[in-house]
Amino acid sequence: MNSYFIGVIILLLSGFIAGSFSKKFKTIVLSILTAIGSVLCLIPASNVLLGKDSLGKAFYFNDLFGIVNFIIDPLSAFFIVVICVMSLVSVIYSNGYLKPYLESKNINSHLVFLPMLIASMLAVVTCQNALMFLICWEIMSLSSFFLVIFESNKKEVIKAGIKYLVFMHVSVLFIIMAFALLSIKAGSFDFMAFKDVLVNNKALANVVFLLAFVGFGTKAGFVPFHNWLPDAHPAAPSHVSAIMSGVMIKTGFYGILRGIQLIGIPSKTISFVVLTVAGISALYGILYAITQHDLKRFLAYSSIENVGVIGMGIGVGMLGMAYHNPAVALIGFAGGILHILNHSIFKELMFLTAGSVYLKSHTRDIEIMGGLIKSMPKTGLLFLIGSIAICGLPPFNGFISEFLIYFGMFKGLTIDNFEAVIVMLFAISALAFVGTMAILCFSKAFSIVFLGLPRSEKIAQVKEDCEKIMLIPMGFLATLIVLIGIFPHRVLLKINKIVFSIIPSTSMNVWSGCSEIFMTILSVALVVSCFMAFLIVMIALKLKLTKGKIELHQTWGCGYDRANNHMQYTASSYASPLLSMLKPLFKKVFDIEKPKKLFPRSAHFSLQIEDIEEAYVINPILKMDEWFLSKFESLQSGNIQSYIKYGLIFLLIVIIGSLFIG
Amino acid sequence: MIMKLVNLIILLFVPFLMMGLIKKTKSFWGGRKGPSILQPWFDFVRLMKKDFVISDTTSAVFKITPVISICSVVFAALFVPMASGSAIVNIPAGLIVFAYILGLGKFFSLISAMDTGSSFEGMGASREACFTSIVEPAFFMTIGSIMALTGNYTFDSLAKILASAGSYGILIIIFAVLVLFIMLLTEGSRVPVDDPATHLELTMIHEVMILDNSGCDLALLTWANGIKMLLISSLIAYMIVPVNVSDFVGVLLYLAVIALLSVIIGTVESGMARIRMSHVFEFVFIMSSLALVVLSLVMARVFGG
Repeated sequence: MNSYFIGVIILLLSGFIAGSFSKKFKTIVLSILTAIGSVLCLIPASNVLLGKDSLGKAFYFNDLFGIVNFIIDPLSAFFIVVICVMSLVSVIYSNGYLKPYLESKNINSHLVFLPMLIASMLAVVTCQNALMFLICWEIMSLSSFFLVIFESNKKEVIKAGIKYLVFMHVSVLFIIMAFALLSIKAGSFDFMAFKDVLVNNKALANVVFLLAFVGFGTKAGFVPFHNWLPDAHPAAPSHVSAIMSGVMIKTGFYGILRGIQLIGIPSKTISFVVLTVAGISALYGILYAITQHDLKRFLAYSSIENVGVIGMGIGVGMLGMAYHNPAVALIGFAGGILHILNHSIFKELMFLTAGSVYLKSHTRDIEIMGGLIKSMPKTGLLFLIGSIAICGLPPFNGFISEFLIYFGMFKGLTIDNFEAVIVMLFAISALAFVGTMAILCFSKAFSIVFLGLPRSEKIAQVKEDCEKIMLIPMGFLATLIVLIGIFPHRVLLKINKIVFSIIPSTSMNVWSGCSEIFMTILSVALVVSCFMAFLIVMIALKLKLTKGKIELHQTWGCGYDRANNHMQYTASSYASPLLSMLKPLFKKVFDIEKPKKLFPRSAHFSLQIEDIEEAYVINPILKMDEWFLSKFESLQSGNIQSYIKYGLIFLLIVIIGSLFIG
Repeated sequence: MIMKLVNLIILLFVPFLMMGLIKKTKSFWGGRKGPSILQPWFDFVRLMKKDFVISDTTSAVFKITPVISICSVVFAALFVPMASGSAIVNIPAGLIVFAYILGLGKFFSLISAMDTGSSFEGMGASREACFTSIVEPAFFMTIGSIMALTGNYTFDSLAKILASAGSYGILIIIFAVLVLFIMLLTEGSRVPVDDPATHLELTMIHEVMILDNSGCDLALLTWANGIKMLLISSLIAYMIVPVNVSDFVGVLLYLAVIALLSVIIGTVESGMARIRMSHVFEFVFIMSSLALVVLSLVMARVFGG
């Protein structure tokens, strides 16, 4: 028995133990047990990353479905670190978040499934056996489903939960197909056996990779399989959305990266497919993020964007491998993997701050918010740090990973191939578009939620910031954001180790590009740190010099001095030039009540943007499905005799069928 | 070292001269004598000395934004080749650091405009954000194409177009300069995208975002905008000015190009009116088409045999 196994077991049991305590101590016990479990799992993982062990053996079963290995290689170790640290932060935060629910609700089932989700993710990223992998994957999907439907008395929450469940099971179907194809060829469920098959059979590798990409891509949230994300994240409590968006969707990337590791050199076709799908996801995600007025739905769309950005990094890496350009492969993968880490940090921070805002204001509609920075200054500052990081702006961590992905693309311009150069150029401008859109998007979110005047009574009544137990985990995440921004080379050293385990070292000299990216990243880090220091000094200087020279007055209203909070720019109006520019991409649903008569009493206007894919692809399919199935409604008579009859007919068909085939 | 100092002096003072020269040109076409070329500098000094009024709606964001704006343009300038040839920090993909540091300044100027709670400033912010999102991809595509052509992914590649494509490169330079010039008009908020001299808040973009700034805040923001224009002009100059001349002649030629650009901007402003707001997109989108032209020219050269 080693520490990893014990850690996972503790996590599995912790929910049951915590549930048996009295209301006051439940969440505290859960946090302590989760902390112990996470630390136990972190030890072997950090040993692998720090180079003390080359491979950590987690645990074995010998006879379940053949040999079931749980192994920690650098790739798993990286994901273990992300899972443990980020989940622990969320669990600690939940101490404050769950407090209002303690009285009105039995949260025991929530406390059981929360650590179970963490444990199942830890099992997924170490498992080396396809069948066991699927079991863990399923536990992960189910436990997260139960976490999503926490507020199960609300209809839309159940609806979102069911949608999530359906999406996850469609996606797992593709993964099962991929694994089934492989295990038939390999005659075993072991990943290492898969590798031998895949390396020698390129056509099979393409098919399997695409199947797995659809399956894992649904989990990750690539467009067009993203629809569950914008519904599930707002429905779940904030610490759960943080774990789901920050950590769980990353298991999809684990699957994709593991797939790349197994197939060796990917073909050009699938590399282009990955890069294109990722680019479309990034654009789609950010455009829809701008149009959303629900704070958490907006963050969910921004997750789709970031998933796209990560995918672009991985796609660039795959193209580098396909064209035998080790430097491009190295930088692309390093950028993608670093962005996985970064996104899990800042997206988690964003969801937690959104949760604090929700807890205090009881609304997620940003159209009625405003001016919260005066009542919740600390949360506001954390949200601002998260926004700057998520836009990929210096001096924070998001910049470093986006820089690496861009750098990989610029390096890709040296590939001597027409298609590759064209694709890289378009990818560069797509990423630039996504970057500026992100600035628009998060400047909107931050300014509408936190700046200006409160747009409603509800918000004006918020008087205090959230509790310390919620602020500390968020502060920790913000510190990570700053640290990775200043010392990216430290992190990059570890990331490179993971990349080396993905790129087959026999066929490529991966070291050749190393020194250049290190020099570049070092100089970027230096400039960024100088920039940060310079900024701080100048800001301090300015605030000091202008002290006492400031006079307060109301905002200039162009001569009109009765401007009030309802005259402020709203989220809809902020996004409106963009919406009119990209009209065909959105389906607008207006809700207008025009002022009538001479002395109009009431009037209102609101605008909802529907997901174009949901409106034009998914809903018609569902409708067709409903129509088709309604033809069989008469079969369901509720009469037990006729059900037995169906059973008999089915048996008969099976027997006759087997006679003919046999 | 001396050249770097020259760079610094140019960076700090030439923006004022540029603005003065634009105003002078406009006065010339308008048949007026116009203020002295140094007037923007005097304005700057005067504003710096003043006390200022800020809105009681605002938070700390509003107070720190002018400093962040000026710091971001000054740091972005480190990555841009100016009078001395190569940039001070000449790293691969420096273009990205340049664009993203400017992006930080933009982010803060947007939220600072929203911080006042004024509907006019919100309007300006939303327009500005929207135009930037069209400008950046085209800018990246143009510079990226040139980098693909020269096989060098620092800003130095801008000076190597002729060396790697011969006289064919002139064609590429013409289109690339056009792209950057439209970018200059958009980011510098000049006519026909935006009219800095207009008096109606509804039709402004950049000016309306800084309605509530006064005193040294206003001075810093105006300066930052001037430096931003200088940086984009420097990229244009770097493409045009020949590389194999002595330092002194190089600086002179650089300044001549900057002066020429200012005169052109002034002439454009005198010659045409601001485009209707709903049609500005179409004008800025020209940049994207031109960027695609640059892309196809480069592709034809590199892969066309």
